[in-house]
Amino acid sequence: MLLLSLALKNILRSRFRTWVTILAMAFAGAIMIFYASLLEGWMQAMETNAVSMEMGEVQLHVPGYRDDPELYDVILDPGAALARAESAGFAGSARLLGSGLAAAQENSTGVAIRGIEPEAEARVVRLHRHVKAGSWLVPGERNGVVLGQQLAVILDVGPGDELVLVGQAADGSMANDLFVVQGILKSVGQGIDRAGLFMPADDFRAFFALAEGAHEIVLQRFDPDLPLDDAVNVLAGLFPGLEVKSWRQLQPTLARLLDLSDVSLAIMLLITYAAVGMLTMNAMLMGVFERIPVFGVMKAIGFSGVRLFGLVVCETLLQITLAALLALGAGLPLSAYFARRPLDFSFLLRESSTIAGVAFEPQWYCRVTPGSVLLPIFFLYAVGLVSICYPALKAALLSPVRAVHHQ
Amino acid sequence: MSEEQIVRLAGVSRVYRQGNVEVRAVDRLDLDIRAGEFSALSGPSGSGKTTILNMIGALDAPSEGAVYLEGRNLAELSRGELSRFRRDRVGFVFQSYNLIPVLTAYENAEFVLALQNVPAMERKTRVMAVLREVGMAAYANRRPDELSGGQQQRVAIARAVVSEPAIVLADEPTANVDSEAAATILDLMEQLNREKGVTFLFSTHDQRVMDRARRLIRLRDGRLEADEGGG
Repeated sequence: MLLLSLALKNILRSRFRTWVTILAMAFAGAIMIFYASLLEGWMQAMETNAVSMEMGEVQLHVPGYRDDPELYDVILDPGAALARAESAGFAGSARLLGSGLAAAQENSTGVAIRGIEPEAEARVVRLHRHVKAGSWLVPGERNGVVLGQQLAVILDVGPGDELVLVGQAADGSMANDLFVVQGILKSVGQGIDRAGLFMPADDFRAFFALAEGAHEIVLQRFDPDLPLDDAVNVLAGLFPGLEVKSWRQLQPTLARLLDLSDVSLAIMLLITYAAVGMLTMNAMLMGVFERIPVFGVMKAIGFSGVRLFGLVVCETLLQITLAALLALGAGLPLSAYFARRPLDFSFLLRESSTIAGVAFEPQWYCRVTPGSVLLPIFFLYAVGLVSICYPALKAALLSPVRAVHHQ
Repeated sequence: MSEEQIVRLAGVSRVYRQGNVEVRAVDRLDLDIRAGEFSALSGPSGSGKTTILNMIGALDAPSEGAVYLEGRNLAELSRGELSRFRRDRVGFVFQSYNLIPVLTAYENAEFVLALQNVPAMERKTRVMAVLREVGMAAYANRRPDELSGGQQQRVAIARAVVSEPAIVLADEPTANVDSEAAATILDLMEQLNREKGVTFLFSTHDQRVMDRARRLIRLRDGRLEADEGGG
């Protein structure tokens, strides 16, 4: 009680010193909360762009299709498969996949053609929100196509322009037809950017003379807390005749890249924390060293070194607690604000771009999570207590004779 | 050591090193202080006055010889025992008052009693009594920066005597106050010595203090030059 009472008096009655220390720590804490939330948001955006943009969380194919894609290797009755998946807790969309040659004026290139149901697709991925020019596919409308951004550059086409598609139909005939460019996508990923061509599933069936089936079913968990591996196990039990793969199995390199990004961001976070930790430590060292004569007098009149150590630690804990409350008061609303409105870096990066196959937007959102809030607070306590050990020990061991005459 | 002896210095030397130079601040000193004395150590700067007070107060240890306080050889006490010994048996009055700046006059005087775990009610009675004795009861709730130098020194005296120590060591207690305040402080210490039997040992340059001391121990170069009134 004596220590607590003394610590409170030292804090409350030395207002200038107290506020300098507390505000330094609170500022550091608020910055750490905001920065951690921003990085959480960035990581989530990266994963979302990698997974939710086009790939989806889990995909179903007939066995062997992925190694050697054939137009004829289809999942029969995809409607029934989607209904079973939905009843097991998964939203889904069936896709048709083929390839061909696209030509516009004097330009031509190979394209990866994807036939989709626009409404179903919008339930599992977010590609429809990623249109740079023109518009996304409209349910019921025919002969419109949406292109990847580099493909549009290669073909030198924009919304409203016509292009010719040529391919090999399922019945062996030469497929060819005229389509109108309806939209151009922002950067999504290298594969789609260079060769992605999206059209309604009915157009695909007509073009390739493929009456039924789907090549791929993309699924999304209704419950995002269900672990991905568990989801794969559930679906494998539900579709024993199909190959069930999570996005991590489909894109192991990308999964590793994201994991590595997680580690490198944690290191960046630690470096930032260390820098703000220095700020905190400096304020605390000043707070102890300027009181050396007082501590010397206290020791001279019988205040033991152990008690002095306890007093300094007790003061520090009280100050950190106050600073943590202030840091929460400032850092949380700031992060919450930028969770709704993004930090816009479009003055540096005019549009979305792809790095290592993952699309990045110039708008960054914060994401407030228990980790982004509690970790900085925990770190504040850790830095405070670690950094106070040296001055507290110095105070505890100081010679009262020297301390009393210390200037 | 006789019963009335509180302090005994036996062949005490204190040697400091300043770089490669050895400074002998106290040189083979023998000295006794008896209960109830009102004594002063005097001498020019560097004569060893403050060093002797520091060693008697268990703040510093001799390089040679032994310091006994109430019959106990201070060299035999651990760091913790020395801390408790200072708390319970020694009162300090410093030249620069050295009150704890965040505590009021009352809290400064109460501090040692709180360290001794004296019950709150008893603390209050004893602290208010001693503040009245030093004439500071009306300023009990003021902090050091709201008091004059003389007033701060009176609070420092209250803090030094409130725990009824065996001896009060005062290092140049009048050095930083004006002559009127110095006279008041000396009156107060003399009164505490006379009425309460508090033993005082000063270090001083101040002729007024030397005039009031009933025993004057003159030092030169760390050695005893004269001992006047020691009986």
